[in-house]
Amino acid sequence: MSLTELRPASHRQSPPPAPGKTKHWLYRFDTKTIPYIFISPFFILFAIFGVFPLIFNGIVALRNWRLDDPTLTGWAGLANFERLLSDEDFWNSLGNTFGIFILSTVPQLLAALIIANLLNRRLRGNTFWRIGILLPYLTPVVASTLVFAIFFARDNGLANWFLSLVGFGQETPLDWRAQKWSAWIAIATMVNWKWIGYNALLYLSAMQSIPKDVYEAAAVDGASPWRQLWQITVPMIQPVVVFTVILSTIGGLQLFNEPMMFDENPQSADGGTDHQFQTIAQLIYKVGWKDLDLGYAASMSWALFLIILVVAGINFALTRRIGGDR
Amino acid sequence: MRRTVRAAVAGVAATLLIAGCSGQSLEGKEDSGNGAAGEQITLKVNFWGDMGLDALKAKYEKEHPNIKIVLNTGEFNAQHEDLQKKLVAGSGAPDISAVDEGFIVQFRNQSDKFVNLLDKGGAEFESKYLDWKWKAAMSADGKQIGLGTDVGGLAMCYRSDLFEKAGLPKDREAVSKLWTNWDDFIKVGQQYVAKTGKKFVDSGTNMFNPVLAQQPVGFYNDQEQLVMDGGPKVAFDTSMKAIDAGISANLVSFQANWNTGFKKDQFAVLACPAWMLGHIQETAPDQKGKWDIAAIPGGGGNWGGSWWTIPSQGKNIDAAADFVKWMVQPEQQIEVFKTVGNLPSQPALYKDPAVLDYKKEFMSNAPTGQIFAATAESLKPQYLGKKNGPTRVAVENVIRRVQQGGLKSDAAWAEAVKQAEKVAKTGK
Repeated sequence: MSLTELRPASHRQSPPPAPGKTKHWLYRFDTKTIPYIFISPFFILFAIFGVFPLIFNGIVALRNWRLDDPTLTGWAGLANFERLLSDEDFWNSLGNTFGIFILSTVPQLLAALIIANLLNRRLRGNTFWRIGILLPYLTPVVASTLVFAIFFARDNGLANWFLSLVGFGQETPLDWRAQKWSAWIAIATMVNWKWIGYNALLYLSAMQSIPKDVYEAAAVDGASPWRQLWQITVPMIQPVVVFTVILSTIGGLQLFNEPMMFDENPQSADGGTDHQFQTIAQLIYKVGWKDLDLGYAASMSWALFLIILVVAGINFALTRRIGGDR
Repeated sequence: MRRTVRAAVAGVAATLLIAGCSGQSLEGKEDSGNGAAGEQITLKVNFWGDMGLDALKAKYEKEHPNIKIVLNTGEFNAQHEDLQKKLVAGSGAPDISAVDEGFIVQFRNQSDKFVNLLDKGGAEFESKYLDWKWKAAMSADGKQIGLGTDVGGLAMCYRSDLFEKAGLPKDREAVSKLWTNWDDFIKVGQQYVAKTGKKFVDSGTNMFNPVLAQQPVGFYNDQEQLVMDGGPKVAFDTSMKAIDAGISANLVSFQANWNTGFKKDQFAVLACPAWMLGHIQETAPDQKGKWDIAAIPGGGGNWGGSWWTIPSQGKNIDAAADFVKWMVQPEQQIEVFKTVGNLPSQPALYKDPAVLDYKKEFMSNAPTGQIFAATAESLKPQYLGKKNGPTRVAVENVIRRVQQGGLKSDAAWAEAVKQAEKVAKTGK
């Protein structure tokens, strides 16, 4: 015990005999500077790919920048943001984004919680199940979305075949892309399919650190498994719940690939014939790279950034309360 | 960390997607450096669908060992949008790009970004082309940005086997007599639907486009004013009538489900410009001999057709010009006509026995040369405005909303006008 305590101290008290100036310098360099160099790659990359685009984007948002008309340039002030307020496409896509976000996040996290709870019991082939639920997460999103796009096809689609088995849409098959509600459900299904397993594994790892005796005590007191889940498990894994809620919020509000590939004509970036499922990220892409209006697209990106901050903040505050006053 | 992984996955996917949209523009770039004699030159050619270039490429490369041709096909709208982007950016454009009639006005207004083919010995071709085809690619200040490759013409392709089963005539002469106008066409469609329980046309948009092509004025008049009440109204009403009559399979043309529709016999007729033959052949190769060609209701019209252009930012514009001039020679044009069906835009070829006597085996040995040449020579071209492309997309989307049931057909016209006006107003 005492030895380990002495060692670092001995460095300071008795430096090696006759330290050369270079050696001294090297030593100082090693202790004072090297740690920063070691952690610097992250910050350098973050500055290049995180901070710089953010600031640059903010500057572009205040300018006119049209790719199809290079003569139209210069400062626009807040004109782009003003235009945003009265742009019905923007509000429509905001509504779509939130609709899909709620339809995907809420069932996704609830299902993940229940699956994690099941996996936390003693099961045969434990590892098999745990790896199994992670498989959708490993599938490239473009590949899985393409499959889902066929799954939700109007004619010859598997989803409509299932519906016809229970007696729906035998006369006129459901066109999933035609209405907002059906398109939202289809896209939310893709998101849920992909992320339930991932979130379940996060919950599972948190659950495994809960001491068993808490459950034993609850069982002795006569608490049902359902009650144990909500009154013991959830409060005890609350930090992870907060984490997943915020991650899902960010991911949900940035949804792009699924609505993009779900469209009959993915190149159009329209999000449906009447923008039934055009999300904000998709609208930003369309305005920037198809309408070639970069300034306006940048102001949308900033608006999305602020919206995500606000919503993530609200969700953080809400989920922190589920643990009670801990 | 997990967040980073998640973001990275999304990022990679997005990059893939965007790379897909921009048509793999990095391909073959590294060795397209200097065009000195004897040095290896790579020419990148952008187009959409199948323009019958595979055989031409091999032939040209054999004759010119120092030239390598990279063919890059993509989605129709995306290729044009990509070209526009690269022109503005000043780099990244292909050496040669096909431009469709729907976009040629937009690009000829930027003639400084293209090689003036009159400077590259293109002037000799003027007398060979259909007059309007030559003029359409010429800027206001007299620069020629493109040499015409094909014109659309217009006919009606139909499935003779399905017609026979439905008790309709099978022979192309008799079928042409069934429909002299679009109302007759819709009636025939209703008969077909009643008999077979299957749909007749592929989509409302493929009713709208040919009817619009037959009108004297399209979306825009030659003063670039949107005139929805003329041609577009006629075409729109016809498409609504077809949808209401229940003869449309309501598919989205040129997309995956449309391709499936071919294979599942979901429709029996398809409005056919000459270039559509290549699409049919490519999408449903096993339906050889089951398709035939009849006259289109309303008679004539032109839908589509393109030019070869050379963006001036390229490093090998001389080599590119040589290849373009070679491609539009009669021999090559006839070759393309035979492989994919694209109709040449040089009237001399309409009298060439190689075109006139040609019978397309895939289309039940229909004399495609005679059929399309007859429509092409007599047609009066429409002026297609700068915003023709995006306006068409907007109106097509309204038609699709009616097909999906989200919009009533009697309320649809007002909506179509609204959407078209929105497009006409944006930008410049």
